[in-house]
Amino acid sequence: MTQRRERTNARARLMHRLRQRFRKWVNRRIPPARSVTLDQRRIFIFPSKVGLLFALALLVMLITAINYQNNMSFALTFLLATLFVIGILHTYANLSGLTIRALRANPTFPGQHTEFSVQLERGGSREHFALHLKWPESTASLVNLSDQDTVQVHLHLPVGKRGWFSPGRLLLESTYPLGLLRCWTWIDLDLYAMVYPQPLACAELPGLATDQPDGAAVPVAGSDDFHGFRDYRQGDSLRQIHWKGLARGQGVQTKQYGAYADRSVWLDWEMFPGVGVEQRLSHLCYWVLQFEKNNEEYGLRIPGAVIPPGVGDRHRDQVLQALALHGRERRQQ
Amino acid sequence: MKPDQQIPRNALVWIIISLFTLVAPHAGRLPVWVLAVYVFAAIWRIMVYQGRWSFPGRWVKAALIASSFTGIYFSYGSLIGLEPTVALLLTAFALKLIELSKLKDGYVLLFLGYFICITEFLFSQDLMIVLYSLINVTLVTTALVAMHRPGEHQFNRKTIRLAGIMLLQALPLMLVLFFLFPRIGPLWSVPIKSHTAKTGMSDFMKPGDISRLGKSDEVAFRAEFTGDIPDTTELYWRGLVFSALEDGAWRSLNYYDIPASERRPQMAESVGPSIAYRVIMEPTQQRWLYSLRYAQPQTPGVMSGSDYVLFSPTKLEDERLYSVRSWPEAALEMDVSPWRREVELRLPGGSNPQTTSFARELRARSGSDAAFVEAVLARFTEEPYAYSLNPPLLPGDNPMDSFLFDTRTGFCEHYAAAFVIMMRAAGVPARVVAGYQGGEVNPVNRTVIVHQFDAHAWAEVWLEGQGWVRVDPTAAVSPDRIEWGLERALAGEGSFLTDSPMSLLHFRGVAWVNSIRLRFDALTYRWQSWVTGFNRERQFDLLNSVFDGISARKFVLVLIGSWALVLTPIAFALLRKRKRDTMSPADKAYLLFCDKLSRVGVTREVGESPLQYGARAARNMRPEASQIEKITQLYGTIAYRRNGDNVATLERELERTVRRFRPGRGT
Repeated sequence: MTQRRERTNARARLMHRLRQRFRKWVNRRIPPARSVTLDQRRIFIFPSKVGLLFALALLVMLITAINYQNNMSFALTFLLATLFVIGILHTYANLSGLTIRALRANPTFPGQHTEFSVQLERGGSREHFALHLKWPESTASLVNLSDQDTVQVHLHLPVGKRGWFSPGRLLLESTYPLGLLRCWTWIDLDLYAMVYPQPLACAELPGLATDQPDGAAVPVAGSDDFHGFRDYRQGDSLRQIHWKGLARGQGVQTKQYGAYADRSVWLDWEMFPGVGVEQRLSHLCYWVLQFEKNNEEYGLRIPGAVIPPGVGDRHRDQVLQALALHGRERRQQ
Repeated sequence: MKPDQQIPRNALVWIIISLFTLVAPHAGRLPVWVLAVYVFAAIWRIMVYQGRWSFPGRWVKAALIASSFTGIYFSYGSLIGLEPTVALLLTAFALKLIELSKLKDGYVLLFLGYFICITEFLFSQDLMIVLYSLINVTLVTTALVAMHRPGEHQFNRKTIRLAGIMLLQALPLMLVLFFLFPRIGPLWSVPIKSHTAKTGMSDFMKPGDISRLGKSDEVAFRAEFTGDIPDTTELYWRGLVFSALEDGAWRSLNYYDIPASERRPQMAESVGPSIAYRVIMEPTQQRWLYSLRYAQPQTPGVMSGSDYVLFSPTKLEDERLYSVRSWPEAALEMDVSPWRREVELRLPGGSNPQTTSFARELRARSGSDAAFVEAVLARFTEEPYAYSLNPPLLPGDNPMDSFLFDTRTGFCEHYAAAFVIMMRAAGVPARVVAGYQGGEVNPVNRTVIVHQFDAHAWAEVWLEGQGWVRVDPTAAVSPDRIEWGLERALAGEGSFLTDSPMSLLHFRGVAWVNSIRLRFDALTYRWQSWVTGFNRERQFDLLNSVFDGISARKFVLVLIGSWALVLTPIAFALLRKRKRDTMSPADKAYLLFCDKLSRVGVTREVGESPLQYGARAARNMRPEASQIEKITQLYGTIAYRRNGDNVATLERELERTVRRFRPGRGT
């Protein structure tokens, strides 16, 4: 019993090691890059299932030719066999010279689907057909590059846990022109989607952290008292734009509401004592969304990141990003 | 592309086109209803495409398949044999079209299409059929390519380009494989043609049989002689020897008629000069082969019969190539066996009494058998006997009496039969030989073309001390037939090839038509001897002469070398970086214009806009000012085009104007 388990384990270890070996080999052969141009190092080719069917058909033809001693049947069989071989070059040429560029991956919350965008560009004036793109878990896309030089492809796939989500290697394959051969490549596009923490509700904010103990006037969202105008800054909520003034030609101005708050709103790491890291981040994430919904200003203070209070889509993205990447490596996006 | 993807519409059109071109050459052999199935299937598929009908359900499909099986069975009387099998395949091919929707259906259909090309070759490997099949293969390949171009929703004629290119690239390597691939014998027996009509001579002869052949202009075989071509009057191509006369028909002896000791031919002494030649016979669905007398086959698989004729152990389903060496002067069967003598003298008792008594009387008056032969021939020459392709019908009783003494008009088989009956009646062993006489010498490649209308029957008599001697009574009646051929012999009657008014042979007098016909015939001969007749022996000879002996090493070297030779340039052409032309045609034309101007001294300054430059140039060169303005304006229109402007037309005009722009004299 234990022996068998050991053997199964050994086999699993072996498979695991082989898989790692293979991954390493592919990594060496096709290292991750934001943009990959396909050449002979990166393209693999092998007869497809249809090709095997075709080979079977050729065998039947050859046997017919032999049994009937029919020279023209020999000739046709050989012509098709040679076509098969010539097809290798044409199928290969259909992928060769293509450049795949990583464009972007939209950030999202765990367990949701997000969109990964890549761009295909041809290297010459050759027409490329039936390019099939797919990440292991993603939707598939079939595109041609026949009358334009570039094409953008959007693929959707479910993301994993908080942090950077890697979709794995992108599979680009094609069987054009004959369908007998499958030509493919796996590319690591160095493209990651940011996954925010899973928002987790908690009833009360356990006491807002305060920054300015002297009770300065800080515009706090949710207050009704009109405070004044100031020039529009990027990130201001559209709801606060002084539309009437804009219609009168006064330029874009933002209405400011004032309330005398004795504290500005800081979402602080220390607000949730005795709670695990992920849960803290989840709670913080929840409150970021709450504040944003109510259009209230908020700042973030966690180990490694301090973001002064603000409001608006950009501010929110910045804060969520800080939460998503807490404890994760930073990378160029 | 995943096999469960839909077939693009462009591919669907190509598939339907190739479906019909594939069935076309088979049409003559198929029952009409199979062709109706094709039309029906195409209509159904188009209706599905238009969304009016739906794909057939499982039961409908089963019913269609069952009814086509039944239909084939009733049309052919069986499901066994090549023709019913092919008809079944073709029907299945049409039915598959109805349910064609996914790529995987398309693959099955198109691979079947390639196979249908092969089934056509089993019936004919004519040059024309092969060229036509090449078109078919291109169409099927085009459909295959079109299937892999998703999103092509309209018929696209250009799809054929890539398929054509790929097939052209495949062609040279196909030839290498064709000539190098070892030809081995059949692995197992296969369905044979059971419904194809036999052609040429049949294995028995009644009056009228050979004259029927005399009306056909088809080629029976072609022969190529190693040395000089013998005089055509000497070309008596022996095919069948008819020794038995039964119920008014002559037939050759069956295998079981002959005692075991007599089944092999008596070896004759090969004296005198020999003639070496090669014959390519058209398929006859019969077993006998034609040769000049005392023939020794030089090709394995050709047998010699006891009466010195050649035959093949299997029916001639395709063209057959064989080499022979003949000794025309050799004496055959000097000492005839008692059994043979008895057989060659046998006559049905009591028939043709007038002929019998006449022959015996004449023999009694002649000093010897040889003199008797001469006397009979002399009678044919001196009495008013006529040679005709359409002789009057002879009565069932005593037909020879009626022919010899009453109608006196006949074709070669009448004279040969009458002669042999007279010989046998008088106790001289004799038999009828059927085959072809003469032939047309093709000056293009020095082959002898033997047509069906060269069919002939003559006699052989056995004379003491000479063995079997050929006697042609027709030569006595109509020397023109032997000397000039059938057309001249029938000139008075005007009956040559009256049933085939379209035959090119009618235009032998028109030099260019005849030249084309002979050239094409020479091509056909070359085709048959090199391509369709290519067999193990030819392969061995070829490899021996080209590579000076065959070894495994050379074989592999040639194979690899040729592949490298062909594949490398293709790979190079396909994979070399093709730089995209980034400059638009308008920019190119404008730069050419600047070039031309700077050559006459008006060079565009750095930072000078086209408008400024144009104005300056126009000021400097009054005669060309209007042209310069036009070019500048055109270029501007293209550069700042609005939606809806026809850029292509403007570009063409700009290019044309710049090309014509010749600033001759400078400032």
